[in-house]
Amino acid sequence: MSGATAAAAAVQVLGGVALAPLLPGTIQAAKARMQGRRGPSPLQPYRDLRKLWGKSVADPQPTTFVYQVAPPLVAAATALALLLVPIAGVAPNWGLGDDALVLVGLLALARFAIAASSWDSGSGFALMGSSRDLTFAAFAEALLLAALVLAALPAGGTALGAMARAAGGSGPWSEPAHWCGAAAFALVLLVETGRQPIDNPDTHLELTMIHEGPLLEYAGRDLALLQWSAAARHWIVMVLAAGLFLPHWGGFGTQLAYLAAGLVVLCAGLALSETTQAKMRILRVPGLLMGGCLLAFVGLATGLLGASI
Amino acid sequence: MSSSDLPALAGAVALALGTLAPLLRLRLDLALVLQALGVALLGAAGAAVLFGAAPIGSGFHDGIEPALGIDRLSGFFLATIALTALAALLYARDYLPGHRGARPLAALGGLFVASLCLVVTARDASLFLAGWELMTLAPAAAILVRGHDAPVRNAVFVYLAVTHVGGAGVWIGVLALAHYGALSGAGTLAAHGSGPEALVLVAALIGFGTKAGLMPLHSWLPRAHPVAPSNFSALMSGVMVKVALYGLIRVLFEWAAPVPLWAGLALLAAGLLSALGGVLYALFQHDLKRLLAFSSIENVGIVALGLGASLVFAWAGDPTWATIAFAAALLHVVNHALVKACLFLAAGSFERAAGPLDLDRLGGLLRRMPWTGAAFLVGAMAIAGLPPLNGFASEWLTLQALVHLAFGPAFGLGIAGMIAAVGLAATAALALFCFVKAVGQVLLGAPRRPEVAAATEVRGGMRAAPLALAAGCVALGAVPGLLLPSLAASAPNHVSLAAAPIISVPGAGSFPAPWLLVGVLAVTAALWWARGSRRAAPVPAWACGQRIDPRLGWTSAGFTKPVRLVLELVLRPRREIEVTEEGGVLRSVAYRGEVPHLFDSALYRPARRRALQGAALARRIQSGSVRAYAAYLLVLLLVVLLAVRAGVIG
Repeated sequence: MSGATAAAAAVQVLGGVALAPLLPGTIQAAKARMQGRRGPSPLQPYRDLRKLWGKSVADPQPTTFVYQVAPPLVAAATALALLLVPIAGVAPNWGLGDDALVLVGLLALARFAIAASSWDSGSGFALMGSSRDLTFAAFAEALLLAALVLAALPAGGTALGAMARAAGGSGPWSEPAHWCGAAAFALVLLVETGRQPIDNPDTHLELTMIHEGPLLEYAGRDLALLQWSAAARHWIVMVLAAGLFLPHWGGFGTQLAYLAAGLVVLCAGLALSETTQAKMRILRVPGLLMGGCLLAFVGLATGLLGASI
Repeated sequence: MSSSDLPALAGAVALALGTLAPLLRLRLDLALVLQALGVALLGAAGAAVLFGAAPIGSGFHDGIEPALGIDRLSGFFLATIALTALAALLYARDYLPGHRGARPLAALGGLFVASLCLVVTARDASLFLAGWELMTLAPAAAILVRGHDAPVRNAVFVYLAVTHVGGAGVWIGVLALAHYGALSGAGTLAAHGSGPEALVLVAALIGFGTKAGLMPLHSWLPRAHPVAPSNFSALMSGVMVKVALYGLIRVLFEWAAPVPLWAGLALLAAGLLSALGGVLYALFQHDLKRLLAFSSIENVGIVALGLGASLVFAWAGDPTWATIAFAAALLHVVNHALVKACLFLAAGSFERAAGPLDLDRLGGLLRRMPWTGAAFLVGAMAIAGLPPLNGFASEWLTLQALVHLAFGPAFGLGIAGMIAAVGLAATAALALFCFVKAVGQVLLGAPRRPEVAAATEVRGGMRAAPLALAAGCVALGAVPGLLLPSLAASAPNHVSLAAAPIISVPGAGSFPAPWLLVGVLAVTAALWWARGSRRAAPVPAWACGQRIDPRLGWTSAGFTKPVRLVLELVLRPRREIEVTEEGGVLRSVAYRGEVPHLFDSALYRPARRRALQGAALARRIQSGSVRAYAAYLLVLLLVVLLAVRAGVIG
């Protein structure tokens, strides 16, 4: 194992596990600043996690093991997905490969577990949240695949490491397909992180919750696992976005710096969109996602035409 | 005859005896054991050929002398039939006693399995078509044994009518192939020009597509599968539709090969329509068995996507990806056979234990029936295409093939591939939606009917069969890579793939199925341990301080409402609210909502009306007078003579 691979593996594990909560924390802090509030510190998610880890869990009656196993399963699927995400163009081999479609499958497994848990508790708010989440997912998954196909086009396959390497340098930016893919992936970023205008992570009104809804019944360590998973999903999509659709050049060390800068830029971008956008009507969201899909098709068309000319 | 034929022959004899046994008033157990022995021997013979033993029996010929044989493709389908049928027979051992008409059902079950085996082992047109007809008729008889009130009779009529009208395509296609000598030698059809080729392809696509349940020819499937006894439903959804795909594969990949591009694209389009349409309508079903039937349409669509991609790759001169797409399709065939049989058998157990399968009136069965419930949960996760179960493996491979099609041998094909890939991704997400709803409404939450709250776990074979199939799903999900090379080798002009537990295809990252399974289980277990057992006192779920009444629980219609509203333009849902007031006081509110099956109202109903109008027209010339008929004959004779003189015929 070379030094770069070892370093990338370390960033995957340490970054994914330990730094992930920093991302939503940073977004919240930056958002508060932009809105002229003092807001919580970027470290607030860590404090929340520590507090929750010290509390006991609560199982609503009547539930089965499906409800209890959901948080560990969600966290496990997300943790394995973390190991598929290449860091700075290097994909360490944990024996799980680095295929983009496997990553999509693991995220779907997490979605299934959490939606099943909301049926198990039978809570109306949880079911409302998962019903909306699953509706968006039908369109978001199509959009995600379309964006991934565009990123995979220059690499000739869906291996994430190769895709990140092919996206490096200035070459891809002369292709319209790359621009379309980047725009489509920006929408993926909003959906998967549950941000405005698609979802409001700060809402305290059960009726408007989407991603937060199914978490309502959970407490203690269960909730800690689920909140960590949400943070880790931020990490996964943001690192992917930085690796596949943000500019990066040079060797491993330089690219690592680009990755860090990319994450900061993305956090700022999400904070900006949270500040300037109001939440959309729920039934409008699929239209937005289909628009992104269409954009990806335009991108593919230009890519295929470019290849055939 | 050689010694290698013996197991298959013994199997066929045992299956025949097992079919006759219930009619001879022998013990039911004995009949089922004989059938199981027979199908196991046949399946073992098929599996041996699939994994590299020499083909058994004769090859295809164009004459009408009956001939039987097993090659790799037949072997694969025989093994799939055997796996599913063994589970169904095990289930039937405890399901049939106590069922109305147990003996005829046992005999028909044997006949059904035998006809399925006959279709895939027939080596001439006559046996193939005989098996084909038996395969259609046996389940129809079984449905009528189970019950024959008006809706069931209507379902059987639609089933027979649609599959026979469509089935004419099978007769035309197979007889035309035999006529042109194309059954025995590949490539001979093309020598006769594009006319016969187009006739055969269109006839085969319609004929086999109808029986496979490809949209828009699927109308019979969601009617017939739910009303059959559960062991028949499992075989119908699990293998009968796959045997239709077997016929399609024979025609498109062997007898009529190489096929023109349009055939591949037509299959892709039908596959995409079936996958998306099937899962979308499955989502809005209120009856568990109907939901499962629509989901069969979806999965047949996914197989068709793989086969279509394979044809397009073969046309574009990419044998590697053609082979991968073909293997993906076959893998999905066996995966779906196991999964759907598991789900249908579990549904039968739920019905036996808790009564009607209205989704909104079940709930909480995982606590009452832990074994069957666990099998259903695993099956639902597998069919939703979740790693690390088997459904994900084949969907991953199919999706890889479509993504590579999107990279484009040509501009149009690239766009087609991308449309199919995006459609398949949406299908997978909707399937997850559909089956999380099914799991939630059947297994989880509070029971919504007293009978459901008092349900007891089924015993014996009814418990063991779904569990065995669920275990098969996990096993196939762990090592799909070991099966893949044998599946690839049954494709004509295949490129050999390496056997390894980790699937890797050119260009893609690898799909390490076993490690994924180990990883998910290990990390979940570790986190489960870390979560500890410290828990607060039990609390009710949060409902703003109100008590949760099971009757106020979420319904199927409520959970799927966002999709229904978003896709209003496509689905055209209907909704009626009736409010009765008396003197300003609200007396009652009646609500009715449904998602009508648009194919029925927009396609089949007008077709039926036209057919009846045509029949009314034809009736006008039926005067009943002998003289009129003599005049018709005379006119016909004159027309024929004129035609001969003019050189049009003869």
